Amino acid sequence: MEKVCVLGAGSTKYGRLDDSISDITIQASVDAIDSAGIEPKEIKAGYISNVFGVADKQVHLGPVVMTNLGISERPSLSIESACGSGSVAFREAFANVAGGFYDAVLVTGVEKVTHTGTEWTTTYFSYCSDFFYEGGAGASFPGLFASIARAYLNEFKATEEDFAEVAVKNHDNGLLNPKAHLRKKITVDDVMKSDVVASPLKLYDCCPFSDGASSVILCNESFAKEHNKDYIQVIGSGRGGSPAALQDREHMTTIPSTKIAVEAAYKMAGITPKDIDFAEVHDCFTVAEIIDTEDLGFFEKGQGVQAVREGQTKRNGQIPINPSGGLKSKGHPIGATGVGQIVEVYDQLTGKAGKRTIKDAKIGLTQNFGATGASCAVHIFQSV
Amino acid sequence: MSAKQEFVDNAKSGKILARKCSKCGDLHLATVYFCKKCGNKGFENAVLDGTGTIVTYTIITIPPAGFEKYTPYAWVVLKLGKSGLRVSGFMTGIKTPADLPIGTNVKITGFDDRGIIVERQ
Repeated sequence: MEKVCVLGAGSTKYGRLDDSISDITIQASVDAIDSAGIEPKEIKAGYISNVFGVADKQVHLGPVVMTNLGISERPSLSIESACGSGSVAFREAFANVAGGFYDAVLVTGVEKVTHTGTEWTTTYFSYCSDFFYEGGAGASFPGLFASIARAYLNEFKATEEDFAEVAVKNHDNGLLNPKAHLRKKITVDDVMKSDVVASPLKLYDCCPFSDGASSVILCNESFAKEHNKDYIQVIGSGRGGSPAALQDREHMTTIPSTKIAVEAAYKMAGITPKDIDFAEVHDCFTVAEIIDTEDLGFFEKGQGVQAVREGQTKRNGQIPINPSGGLKSKGHPIGATGVGQIVEVYDQLTGKAGKRTIKDAKIGLTQNFGATGASCAVHIFQSV
Repeated sequence: MSAKQEFVDNAKSGKILARKCSKCGDLHLATVYFCKKCGNKGFENAVLDGTGTIVTYTIITIPPAGFEKYTPYAWVVLKLGKSGLRVSGFMTGIKTPADLPIGTNVKITGFDDRGIIVERQ
């Protein structure tokens, strides 16, 4: 297996964007190409992750991107895996470079939905659930995670204020990220007083619907060395699955796919949770971040809330979580999110994260899942 | 008739159509084709009484399209009495979390454009 490296990374701002879905996909891709210091002709294949291209009248984005990069002859592939699409596309690209099929590829994730409004997005996102039992019975995504939150509150010594602390921390981080969607300091009180979306989750427990695109260049080690640019190495990659519907999970307060994916990634990397310096995790809702940090092995089951209370997941804590601001503050353009997490790790490990830099970080982890964690991918990166 | 249609017809009369693995006896909802425990393909139908208790729930105030006229409403996961099999659905008559603690006794009473309908016992 070839060693695989991230040679460059780029991103649009996340938020409400005016440009079309194809425009922002291309903008992020060009950013990544410039960051890697390569010519488009050196890219052998493109992997594009997207869920609702239909909302902005463009699916089959790959050929549009490749044509605009002047490499229409190169193969491309569009990947949909709900909110986990970005990390799944990255994994497919990783496998192809590791397997020696290509020496350098482009991975770009994108979403453009804010122009459709809350009702459209709430409805269409619910199609990512096991629709017969969930979306079709009125369960929105906030509703599904609210059910997980209710189970967590019932099972462990946790409060709604504990969940709110996650939002406050991620907004503090997002304030330092010029590309974040919600750059606003908030308090626990603000979260508690925000409108209920699906009890016990309130508006400020929920990530926003965002537009945005993120892109990375993946290559093998010899390609990276020849190009004389900053790069990081992918040392672990894992994927896993969970029952599509919450009702079929033995425990509602853990995401099985995360545990399966991270175990595989730790095994490939030959490391343990203690070796991780920081992580970008899937905090689509505040409770999800707490569950993620437990499933990834950073804290014992039920201890994630205590860790948040003690500030262990802040930028200067024992294991900083979501220094980018996470989905909560940086934003959640669903097809782009998994790639965006990797952009943050690249920036952190190559000294490009500015004021939100995690001091002395050498190893970063990303965890990104689709729907209520029905699918998940975890990746681990090391500075070179 | 598809497995799903048969399941819906049973739900309309307050029953859950389950599939019992003919090899290991594991219970599944009727829409499953292979046993998750042993991988076997053969099943026998098992019609279960639609009564059970709430495992978890939410009260939704911002609904997807089609549910506006019901808002706020509860979406619940329930555990069926004897079998312990879990199923989820739309619960009527619930407006606030105080109306519905975990453990509440409920029953399935129908199936319509809101999916499986659940009511307090």
